[in-house]
Amino acid sequence: MIRLAAIWEAFRVATASLRANKLRTALTLMGIVVGVSAVIAVVTIIDGLNQTVAQTFSSQGSTVFTISKNPQIIKSREEFVKFNRRKDVTHEDAEAITRLCTACWRVGIAANAIETVKYANQKAENVRIRGIDPLTMFEIDGRTIDVGRIWTESEGASGREICVIGPDMLKNLFAEAPADKAVGQEIRIDGRPYLVLGVLEPLGSILGFSRDNVVYIPYSTYQKAYGGRRSLVAFIQVPSAEQLEAAEDQVRTIMRNRRHSSGDGDDEGFALETQDVFLNLYGSATSNIYIVTVLVSGVSLIVGAIVVMNIMLVSVTERTKEIGIRKAVGARRKDILTQFLIEAVTVTALGGVIGVGTGFGLAYVISALIGFPLLISAASAALGVGISSLAGILSGMWPAWRAARLDPIEALRAE
Amino acid sequence: MSEATLTISPVENEIKPRTEVNGHDSSMLISMRNIWKTYQMGTESVHALHGVSFDIPRGEYIAIIGPSGSGKSTLMNLIGCLDTPTQGQYWLNGKNVSEMDDDELARIRNQEVGFVFQTFNLLARATALHNVELPLIYGGVSASQRHEMAKQALKAVDLSDRITHKPNELSGGQRQRVAIARALVNHPSILLADEPTGALDSHTSMEIMDLFERLHSEGNTIIVVTHEHDIAARAHRVVSIRDGLIEKDERIR
Repeated sequence: MIRLAAIWEAFRVATASLRANKLRTALTLMGIVVGVSAVIAVVTIIDGLNQTVAQTFSSQGSTVFTISKNPQIIKSREEFVKFNRRKDVTHEDAEAITRLCTACWRVGIAANAIETVKYANQKAENVRIRGIDPLTMFEIDGRTIDVGRIWTESEGASGREICVIGPDMLKNLFAEAPADKAVGQEIRIDGRPYLVLGVLEPLGSILGFSRDNVVYIPYSTYQKAYGGRRSLVAFIQVPSAEQLEAAEDQVRTIMRNRRHSSGDGDDEGFALETQDVFLNLYGSATSNIYIVTVLVSGVSLIVGAIVVMNIMLVSVTERTKEIGIRKAVGARRKDILTQFLIEAVTVTALGGVIGVGTGFGLAYVISALIGFPLLISAASAALGVGISSLAGILSGMWPAWRAARLDPIEALRAE
Repeated sequence: MSEATLTISPVENEIKPRTEVNGHDSSMLISMRNIWKTYQMGTESVHALHGVSFDIPRGEYIAIIGPSGSGKSTLMNLIGCLDTPTQGQYWLNGKNVSEMDDDELARIRNQEVGFVFQTFNLLARATALHNVELPLIYGGVSASQRHEMAKQALKAVDLSDRITHKPNELSGGQRQRVAIARALVNHPSILLADEPTGALDSHTSMEIMDLFERLHSEGNTIIVVTHEHDIAARAHRVVSIRDGLIEKDERIR
């Protein structure tokens, strides 16, 4: 049994000796602080990113998949060359899918261009111009109208210069005017005038990239402005995630027939992808960051623990006389062992607390810069302090054991 | 708690007939039988004590005297349970301590032995009160009782007005009195002093020796280890050690 009074005495002695050697204590803490704050910062940042990404992608959800010429992620030059030899995905492909795929719910096509948009003497750069057809593409994209209206089917087919703008346009072109002020105005894209029919509800941004910096135009208009020879992306939506696989199978078969590909070995001639591609890429990227951070902070914790061990060994040597006195008046081995363990744990736990604080501080600064929510979790704070305390126990063990084993006669003789 | 609790009840055992149990005299506070202490110096065995036997009854004031290298320090360490004999039996207050392990010895030191050292051996960063409380902390005494007992012990050595002072704020004599208060606070069976006046001037030395005399008159058993004859002369019995053996054992008053 270790007496409570002895533990309190150990804690008292520990804090007194830490106070007496402030510089040494600070240096001792450093390694632990760096290690813990690195872990806390990264864990907090990645938690924040995860939440943002999860929210963002669930708005489009896993009920949508795409057919395109090139996949979203090209891994090598060889792939790039291979994909460029593929036939373009065309309006006809989308029509065939609409006609033949029974499991599909909504089918649409979209093509994107990046342009500078002007209104009066205002201009917005790097705006995504999205030509879509049919109108259900708005629903597939998860877009709803805020003010005004979307175009009608006949308007969409007419090739007229009409558009629906994302809410960022209000900010960038209309000096944050209310949405109804923008409706009916004429904006210029690549020199051509477009009539604003409506303004979309905001979707927010992913990792600093706004999804509202966009102008939707009918595909017929897009074709007129940018030519019809560009490859499209076909979007297919199913009513619920369970039907996704069946729809993918049907679409794959339809497309193979149209590309005359067999699907075994040679190139299929198209890319079928879901948003999971992004999520998987994102997941593997963040898990790599996790691993690297854990390794780096693990190393700095080990270094920190070695420093603590070193300092504790010095402390034991310096306080040999004190240990002798305590033993002479009746301290047992475990009393001395506990005293030095508590001292080591007090240092590292203090380092852990400071590390958690600076870690959250770092995460706060970075999250404010990039723009994602800061999720301060009690679990990661507890983990930080817990791990550093464990480091204290491990690094204090050997010095404490040495102290506990000191011969009282020898120890009393020390100066 | 009154001052009287610091005194150990006056000697009853002296008048009892000697009763040998298991080869030791159970009426004695300390009973050593054929104690050997051998140190291994490389391949050579050095005998610091060879076959020392003696008894100390409760309430005695005894001096152990001898030149350096005589084995008196070794004997003191054994009496104080800081060490165990290589061979032989040592009973302290009825307990055979010669075969105890480290932690059992720590407990005996805590309960039965009060040390007074030449260099005081106080904790430099702790107050007088905390220094005196130290044995009680390891004895598991509650905080409030600890305070009370430590204050009483400091009062018994006339240091009631210095309880919050740290050792470096006290004179040598005051430090030694703090050490004596620490030695007495747990009401040990023996007060074991190792050259208690070695670091003090002659005037302060006399004060400390007067204090020992008073503590003895209050019933404490006192063992003083010294090489100074005038210090030894204050005791009632003097045991002289030379070359690891008892050379002389005489009652002087």
